[in-house]
Parts: sequence; structure tokens; C-alpha cells
Amino acid sequence: MNIQAQNRQIAWVVDLNKCIGCQTCSVACKVLWTREDSEKAQWWCSVNTQPGEGTPRGWENMGGGFEEQTHRAKPGEQPTPADFGGGFEFNHEEVFYGGSAGKVHLEPQAPREGRWAMNWDEDQGAGEWPNSYYFYMPRLCNHCSNAPCLRSCPSKAIYKRDDGLVVRDEDACLGARFCMEACPYKKIYFNYDRHVAQHCIGCFPRIEAGVAPACVRQCPGRAVFVGWLDEEQSPVSRLVNEWKVALPLHPEYGTRPNVYYVPPLSPHPLNEDMSVNTEKSRIPPEYLESLFGSEVHGALDFLNAEMAKTREGKTSELMKTLIAYKWQELLGPFAVDPAEIIATG
Amino acid sequence: MKLAKSEQDRETLIDPSSKAWEGTPAQALSLSPVPLEAQPNEYIRASWATRSYGKTGEVSATALADNDRLYVRLQWEDDPAPNEEFPDAAALVLGNGDLGTLGSSEQPLSLWYWAADRDEPLSLTASGPGVFARNGDNGISGAADLSNGRWSVVIAGPLAALAGDQLGVVVWNGSNQERAGLAAVSSWVALEKE
Repeated sequence: MNIQAQNRQIAWVVDLNKCIGCQTCSVACKVLWTREDSEKAQWWCSVNTQPGEGTPRGWENMGGGFEEQTHRAKPGEQPTPADFGGGFEFNHEEVFYGGSAGKVHLEPQAPREGRWAMNWDEDQGAGEWPNSYYFYMPRLCNHCSNAPCLRSCPSKAIYKRDDGLVVRDEDACLGARFCMEACPYKKIYFNYDRHVAQHCIGCFPRIEAGVAPACVRQCPGRAVFVGWLDEEQSPVSRLVNEWKVALPLHPEYGTRPNVYYVPPLSPHPLNEDMSVNTEKSRIPPEYLESLFGSEVHGALDFLNAEMAKTREGKTSELMKTLIAYKWQELLGPFAVDPAEIIATG
Repeated sequence: MKLAKSEQDRETLIDPSSKAWEGTPAQALSLSPVPLEAQPNEYIRASWATRSYGKTGEVSATALADNDRLYVRLQWEDDPAPNEEFPDAAALVLGNGDLGTLGSSEQPLSLWYWAADRDEPLSLTASGPGVFARNGDNGISGAADLSNGRWSVVIAGPLAALAGDQLGVVVWNGSNQERAGLAAVSSWVALEKE
């Protein structure tokens, strides 16, 4: 199957109303691409609780991307191994064979102070009971159309393929790490053994064989779509371009990311007397605006209106698409069963 | 700079503290930062616009050769600040072209690049500040010693690669996050063969 295309763009859509935070996408990616010892702390795909500090810790305050007004490159920080955290050794021996059953528990062998890892602040969220709230948000390389990593690399090791994936030639990468500073999503890692930076490759060997990326194919929640952004009748294109309910994360970074999110709806909060405040959503819209920009309000209104239609017994193409009755629809043109692929070479 | 002939074996010559280096005069080379405006992209120019780099002002260089290999020992004061992410590094530059910008696409230069965190030096083609491409195994070797706050690094490679009998030197202060084109570079130094 030849599905390589000239100047097209593969895009992801993640429905945050369906993500259950199970990390199957993270693990599917991990076991496929980052199993070296030197890649222990690398999670090209990771799911974090929002609001939260995320991975690397505090990534939204590390700069990079482009200035909103001038579109000039914005200096950023390189996340440190401590910011990413993780890669822990655990006390398996002590717990399983140490004769202290019930007295010791499984714990990372690292100082408690400052301990951090991918998803370390799981389910903390924000707000006060009974109106506390959180949701899960998977993140991977955004394969940006205006990729700051590519533009900041002095050795031109990063390039955008004809299918829109942003990949790196590891033989050309000399470890200068400007890409890690320039990426505002902080989804680039450094391999200290091999002296190269690394990031999500969009599962391009799978894409070339017509197989969806592992994070999409393995999602048990049917929460992630993949496809061509310009294929008019595809779920990805309809969600992004037609219905405008799938939005880029932090559009103000100016990188034109290609992972889109259907923002989370939420129940109404409770008043002090425990009556329902039907005027508000428990997840503050201003928080969602801080993530997805001002377009989020229209997207939420449209989602709510379409849900109301179905409750009245009417049909909603949008709801049908998001429910994904047939899971293969999530895969777009990349629906080949990986079990059918015969590895060669 | 004098290029002295040595009869010592390779193992002795690659050792920065061997006696082979005694008796050969070292030359002090002054280094200056590779210009900010020559840096290859907007990101690097913007993020270093208010920071200084190329902080290694002077390096002491000594050159020896056996029948087919060139050995250059570089010595400079180490910045005592810790190297949190980037290694201290140095390179010999060979070729003809603009050394101040570490070459250009029209006139690329050769770099024999040693870094404190790599087992072996790399052979690179430099087409501008940080615009480096890896070459294959060109028989470059190196050894280093850091003692009393001073780096002593020997970088060696085939004598036949020496073009125009001149040499340049680049030093990266890793404590200051110097890497790629953010470096201190010398002027061309003529090598006077014995």
C-alpha cells in the first residue's frame, strides 16, 4: 500500500471526554520505541491529569515556540532529567523476598524530596470538594506545521516528511539540544548514552505500512482518531475543519500543532446548599480557554447542542463520529491489522 | 607554531601527560567568540542575544608529528562551574576558509572534535557555526586529562589531512552551555614543519 503523500498532513484528534487515563497509549508507545536503558525516562506519549504540572514538571512555563505578536522565536528552557523524573529502580527484592510482608511497600528508590515522574500528580486536579475536577490529557509530539525544533537545529537533523510527520535523522543529530529548548510542548528527550535528542516519530514505519500509530490503535477508550487533515469526509477533518470541536493545544505557541483535542464537558457544580448551579460547568471554561484558546467556548456550545439533539431523539453526525460505533473508523486510512504485516530486513 | 617530529610511539604521543610533550615549545593562542550574527538560525540568535559565550580566552597549543599522524595538545583553564548538561569540548580545525564562522557552505572546514563525554573524538565537516555533519571514521583519536583545574587534551589524526599547513582551534565551555556554534575560536596558525 502506498499511502505516502506529497505535502499532506497526518493529524491526531483526542476526545478528552473519552480518555480514561489508563496509559495504554503511553505503554504501547514505550514498548515499541523506547526500551533502551538510556530511554527509561522517555515517554514519547504520556497522559497527565489536568490541571497539573505534567511532564516534564511545569512544562507550560518553560518557554519556546513563537512570540504571539511578532512571531519571532521565543527562547525556552531545556527540561532537565529531574524535570522529567522517573526511570526509577524499585525495591522489588525487599517487598517480595525480604520477609517484611505488609511492612514495606513498593517504592521508588530515590529521595522523597523532589521526586517526580510522568503522571506523578495523577488525579490531583484542582478545585475544592464537592466541586473538585480533573480530566486526562494524552500528549505526544504535535508534528507541528511550523515546527520550532526543526527551525532551531543547527545541524538540520530534523525534517518534515511529505506526510507531515516531523522526524529526526539521528546520524545528523549532534546533541546540541536547541530543539528541546525551542519546543514549547517539551516533548523532546535526550539520550545521554547516544548523545542524541529523541522524540515521537509518529510510528512512521507503521504509517508506511498502512497501520495506525500504536497510541491510536491500542486505545481501549476509542478516544483517539488519526487521519489526513485534508481528507474532507474523514472523522479527523470533520472534527477539526467542519465542526471545529477539535482544537490545538496552546495555539498561542504559534507552532500550528497537528494533535487536536475535543475539550472535556463537565457536570454542573454544586452550590453551598448542595443545589445544582445550572449556570456553570465544574471545569472552569477559563481554564479550558487557557489550554485551547478562545475557540473552546464555541466548541463546548456545539458539543452541548449536539448532545441535546440526541437526547431529543434526533440524529447527530458529530455524536455518532465521537462515539465511534465502528472502532476502525478511528484509524482513518491506516486500518491495516499490524498482525498481517510481515517484517522484512 | 612549530610542528616537531617525534620518534615516540602512538601510545606515548596520545597521552597528554607524557614526557614526549616536554621540550616542544607551546604557543599561546587567543580565542574570540564566534559572532552571534553568524549563528545559523533565529532561535539561537534570540536565545543568546543577552548571554555571553566563547568564554575561553586562551589556549596553549603544542604540535607533534610522527611519520603519518599529527598530534596536537591543547591546554586551557577549566571553568570551575559544574557541567550540568553540556561537556567541555575542543576541536582542531583543518582546511582553508573562514575560521571565524567555522566555515561556510561554500568553503567547509574539517573539525577533529573532542568532547569530555564521548569515548572517541568525531570527525565533522563544518559549514558554519554549528552547521556540522558527521563524517565516517577518519582515524581521529584523542585522550584527555583534567587536573589542577586545567584541561590537557591531545587530538590526533592523519597528517595527510593537514591542508595548507595551517590549523585552527575551537573551545566550548560546557559549564556555560556552549555547544554547536556557541564557542571560542582562534585565528589560523601556520604550522612550521621541522
